[in-house]
Amino acid sequence: MNEASKGAGSVVYEAHGLKKNYDGGQVAALRGVDFDIREGEFVAIVGPSGCGKSTLLQMLGSLDKPSEGSLSYRGRLISALEDPSDYRSTEIGFVFQSFHLLPTFTVSENVQIPMFETGLSRGEREVRAHELLVSVGLSHRLKHFPSELSGGERQRVAIARSLANRPSVLLADEPTGNLDSENAAHVVELLLKLHQELGMTLVLVTHDLGIAALATRTIRMKDGRVVNESTPLTHAS
Amino acid sequence: MTFFTVVVRGLIRRPVRTGLTLLGISIGIGAVVTLVGMSWGYEKSIGKQLDVIGIDVVVSNMSGGLMPKVFDETLQDKVAALPKVADTTTVLMLMLSIEDAPMMMVSGREWGGFTWEKLEVLEGRLPKDDKEFAVVLGKLAAEVLKKKVGDTVQIEADELPVVGIVDGHAVVENGAVILSLSVLQEISSNQGKVNFVDVRVPEGTPEKEVMELCETVNGLFPEGRAKLASEVVGTSQGYRLARAMSWSTSLLAIIVGVLGVMNTMLMTVFERTHEIGILLAVGWKRRRILYMVLCESALLGFLGGVTGVGLGALGLKILEVTPAIRGLLEPDLSPKLLLTSVAIAVVVGVVSGLYPGWRSSRLSPSRALNL
Repeated sequence: MNEASKGAGSVVYEAHGLKKNYDGGQVAALRGVDFDIREGEFVAIVGPSGCGKSTLLQMLGSLDKPSEGSLSYRGRLISALEDPSDYRSTEIGFVFQSFHLLPTFTVSENVQIPMFETGLSRGEREVRAHELLVSVGLSHRLKHFPSELSGGERQRVAIARSLANRPSVLLADEPTGNLDSENAAHVVELLLKLHQELGMTLVLVTHDLGIAALATRTIRMKDGRVVNESTPLTHAS
Repeated sequence: MTFFTVVVRGLIRRPVRTGLTLLGISIGIGAVVTLVGMSWGYEKSIGKQLDVIGIDVVVSNMSGGLMPKVFDETLQDKVAALPKVADTTTVLMLMLSIEDAPMMMVSGREWGGFTWEKLEVLEGRLPKDDKEFAVVLGKLAAEVLKKKVGDTVQIEADELPVVGIVDGHAVVENGAVILSLSVLQEISSNQGKVNFVDVRVPEGTPEKEVMELCETVNGLFPEGRAKLASEVVGTSQGYRLARAMSWSTSLLAIIVGVLGVMNTMLMTVFERTHEIGILLAVGWKRRRILYMVLCESALLGFLGGVTGVGLGALGLKILEVTPAIRGLLEPDLSPKLLLTSVAIAVVVGVVSGLYPGWRSSRLSPSRALNL
């Protein structure tokens, strides 16, 4: 692991021997992964399909539990949390490849959904959703339903939703995977802006090496293992 | 957007299914309102009749059916001789099929007894004496039988002229065919028999003393019971049976309702597994998911309950004017019944949502999202 690449930020995630098995151990998605991610980093996780990168991101988002090993967030063991909803609600934002918006709710309502766990009033939720949608350039789409939006717009709604509770970490699973190149560029630009202007820690799973090149660090995976880590400098070399 | 908005959206996403489930609950609750309303109405109507006539204690043998068994009328003399008894009168009350009416109350009353006092003659007159083979009809009975003064009414094998139409100021009184006790005893072959001794106590008698009087009468009449007027219907075995049947039929309707709502909520939860995965992924707590499903099913129950109360009220109004019921009882549509029915519907909803809610709250977000 390249120490220089991590900078002086405190450790956000620390993983030791993470393993994930499915079908009673017949399928091993992760075969012992160790890494750490520091405050303010933009980490790209790359690798071929089925290498375990999305599984790893789901562990970081506490959407799934490892079969073995430990995963800590800011020193707190999240791999053993019985109910990680507080962590998911307040600490992280998750952006999915297929957007995962709720089809029967408007754009504004989709952004408000995560705020129910924060105790904001109805008015505060609406104002916050409006601000977020303005920031992603969708102030004119507040009352539209997801089916009325383009793919790029849907992903921007999903990004606005991921920011609803002011998380310090953004986890993005192939956020441009379902977008054309123009919309993909807009989404990447938006994510970079969040990383650079708000100092958010960004962990992004991608197939696109062009996007990975923008990261401060790249974790390469193969067959459920981390095979290589690199910084932009090592990319160049 | 409020949490309630989220709940409502969950229900209206499948309007036809939600509508059909609502219809199912409504019919179930409508059945509850109708059956229990009839049962409570019967109790209330008899209670009102006793109140209007001014009866304090009823001596009868209610162990048989809806109508008490007959006994020897000489019991009246023994009761009348007791202290704290101001007045007594005897009645032979039978439930008979009269012409086209399947069931009517036929009330043979001791001539000169206080049960005649409150009858207000609207047309014609009362019988001249206890020997006159004639009847007066309560105003509802006259409507049901389509009779007027001068017509005849066939009771058992005898045809008796209608000499008057009366207002008894209570549904059961107005729905009755009233005649002299001795005449009814003769035409029904119950000579010397009655099935009620109605007792009045002096005004202001404390309830404790009335209870003591009942105990004394019970000693004289071991095969029957003396009851306060307010308790007489509730202690009737026939009425208890009718009440139990109405509640057990209602229970069946409720169970069908529970299964209907549970099926709908389970289908909803299965269909929305992906959505529930999203809600979990964005940080909703499991108990909020459970609460959401319970609120949806409770709302379904509430709406079904309100509609069902409307259906039940309509059913009772229809039954109230049917010849078989008219004049026998005034269905109960009290706020207590209506609120109880809606409360039952909400409980049905909540109970039905427990299992689907628990299931949905236990979903793994990663699996739910990948479905």
